[in-house]
Amino acid sequence: MRELLIEPFQAGYMRRAIVEIVVLGVLGGVIGVHVLLRRLSFLTEVVQHTVFPGIAIAFAFGQSLLVGALTTGLASVVLLTMLGRTRRIDADSAMAVLFAVFLAVGVVVVSRRRGFQSDLTALLFGRILAVDERQLIDTFVVAGLCLVVLAVLHKELVLRAFDQGGAEALGYPVNRLDLVLDAVIALAVVAGIRAMGTVLVVALVITPAATARLLCRRVGTSMAVAAVLGAVGGWLGLVISYDASVHHGWRLAPGATLVMVLTIGFVLVAAGSWFVRHRRVRALVVAA
Amino acid sequence: MSRLVDSFQSPLFRRAMIEAICVGLIAGVVGVHVILRRLPFFVTAMSHATFPGVVLASAAGVSLFVGGTAFGFVVVAAVLLLGAGRVLDNTAVIGVVLAGSFALGMMILSTRPSSSKDLSAFLVGSVLTVTNADIATTIGVGIAVLGLLALLHKELVLGAFDSDGAGALGYRTVLLDAIVLGAITVTLVSAIPAVGTLLAVALLTVPALTARLWTDRLGTTMLLAGIFGAASGAIGLCAAATWSVAAGGSIALTAGAVFAVSLAATSIGHRRRTRPPPRLAVG
Amino acid sequence: MAEVEAALVLDGVTAAYDRDPVLRGVTGTVPVGGSLALIGPNGAGKSTLIRAILGLVPIVAGSVEVLGTTPAHARALVAYVPQADQLDREFPVSVLQVVLMGRYRMVGWLRRPNAAHRRAAMDALAEVGLADRADERFGVLSGGQRQRVLLARAVAQEARLLLLDEPFNGVDATTTDALLAVLARLRADGVAVVMSTHDLSVAHLACDEACLLNGEQFAFAAIAEALTSERLKATYGSSALLLDDGATLLAR
Repeated sequence: MRELLIEPFQAGYMRRAIVEIVVLGVLGGVIGVHVLLRRLSFLTEVVQHTVFPGIAIAFAFGQSLLVGALTTGLASVVLLTMLGRTRRIDADSAMAVLFAVFLAVGVVVVSRRRGFQSDLTALLFGRILAVDERQLIDTFVVAGLCLVVLAVLHKELVLRAFDQGGAEALGYPVNRLDLVLDAVIALAVVAGIRAMGTVLVVALVITPAATARLLCRRVGTSMAVAAVLGAVGGWLGLVISYDASVHHGWRLAPGATLVMVLTIGFVLVAAGSWFVRHRRVRALVVAA
Repeated sequence: MSRLVDSFQSPLFRRAMIEAICVGLIAGVVGVHVILRRLPFFVTAMSHATFPGVVLASAAGVSLFVGGTAFGFVVVAAVLLLGAGRVLDNTAVIGVVLAGSFALGMMILSTRPSSSKDLSAFLVGSVLTVTNADIATTIGVGIAVLGLLALLHKELVLGAFDSDGAGALGYRTVLLDAIVLGAITVTLVSAIPAVGTLLAVALLTVPALTARLWTDRLGTTMLLAGIFGAASGAIGLCAAATWSVAAGGSIALTAGAVFAVSLAATSIGHRRRTRPPPRLAVG
Repeated sequence: MAEVEAALVLDGVTAAYDRDPVLRGVTGTVPVGGSLALIGPNGAGKSTLIRAILGLVPIVAGSVEVLGTTPAHARALVAYVPQADQLDREFPVSVLQVVLMGRYRMVGWLRRPNAAHRRAAMDALAEVGLADRADERFGVLSGGQRQRVLLARAVAQEARLLLLDEPFNGVDATTTDALLAVLARLRADGVAVVMSTHDLSVAHLACDEACLLNGEQFAFAAIAEALTSERLKATYGSSALLLDDGATLLAR
């Protein structure tokens, strides 16, 4: 067992990958609790795709991927706010339009290049095993920044999620709080994209948090549990994909594998909690 | 431009054109139901969730359409089942299932050789390689879906507008919901050869939203959405041939451009119209 | 259909939402042409009872008899009026289309409404005073006007039992008068009416019986008998405030 869990990390690229994924898992878990509180799952899904053209363009011109991703991610948040303000279409529809258009721009840009298929794959699904030390530092900085912001504004953000009217009545600038949280989500997504790609990063945010919500009642403990689940799920996923390809000759994409681990965890917990609830309610009905 | 003219000579391109127009038309009309029921997130999720089905079908050598549709229905069931606990709201469950099933598709695909080329065909389509069988599937699906939506139009609209009211009138709302979700899923999968899983969302939402900007009438909305969808398919394909870019991307982008122009054009008229006439001001 | 004496018979109804029982032991009868107000605080189970009468919520114990038969069989003869606020204001349907929805079961599957159905819908719309708004989009009407359109839809359905969810909630005086007039006319024609409400004065104007609910039944009697200070206090608990002159204030 010990060998299975530790041995893969003899290799330098695996060590970097594990550090990267643990940091991202913790960050995603903590942010995910906020995402679920505010019901921003769709926004997260959209943001992970709207950063795609930024990455594609930066990639095509050999610029920093992080800067490209941040630029279009920010542009999409601004556009969303503007579309929302017109009151002509609802928020979900606006997000669907942005999702489609930004993704399409990315696809068009990438497809101008020869042999674009493998570039596209790398951008969409990330290359966690190719993370280098500079990227690790980027991730540390972004994760630290996000976690500090969330810690400082914790009670205000939770209040706003619970009761917008109440927060406004108390004099909090609700719009600015929303923008801060949106920006933190966008930052975290950007940080995760090189490792996880623009399709799967949403899983690091939503899945551990959803699992934690089934297990805990309090926001604080949910965050702790989600962070642990994210980190452990990431670790296990990496180990499984490494073991499968090195010892069994199966090539399993590491990002996809770790998302599967997180998803299976969620399904098990959901089944368990459903079973417990069901028994309790049946007892109630019989009593009635 | 001459490259575009040359393209029309080729049977590949003509086939692609038929496929793009048909998919645009069908998805445009079905998209109106997506907008009426506020299901953009569901469609986004399904576009990811049908992915493993498509991959499995391709590995097993059966029709992608059948595989994608079958897996799509499994995922719908999973969302309904996991959401039944009411601890988590639907969007969270959809998010989890969306990413999970996409990852499953990725895992299966990564065990197979030459995965990245197949993958990009699934994700962004490859309309220039559609076969006659693909076109036949699209047209068959189109006739079935549009026919069903036309026959059940008033019941489906009632179910979308006032689900409780429909239930009170004695309609099985679960059945009505299932018909709409089924029609959306089938349409989505039939669009994969042309625009891919990720960008099928564009055709299933953007033309319908664009049509909604121009009119408040439901019938007109459906007509316009079909036209916008078909036009986006045709223009996008021509653009793809002219500048040699991925057709799925340029079709989605065309749909987005039509939306942006419509939004700007109708905003001017909208502002003028909403100066309140005296009677409305009292109401 | 054979003549029946009672429009609605409730016998020890216990209803459950998602397997949690929220309403226990409701018993009473509404005669043909009668009217019943369901009164109780938020979360008391008023909407659940209405949905149970519609057959949309499973009944764990007891029975509901609608027009001499089961809720499922009586559905064509039962009309439901939701709160106008619950419906999507952006939905692209015209006012007339909404009223026509009440006749869809008469129109039948696969058919379009004919001229007779349109005439019936226009008549219903005229009765609530909105015939001139028939072609406008439902969502542009005010809250009170939308509530009247939904009542017109129930009228067009030609039901024998009418169920209304908070019909007077937040509507203007014109609408209140119009709703009361239409309900009186329907009752004169033998239609029974059941409505949930917070508004005791409107309950007095519109109904002759009242059912006090808060998880269980606290009274089911003629309205003057049911709405006494003691009973309201028992139903609402600490959120009922008794004034010196015998009037009662209720918090929601």
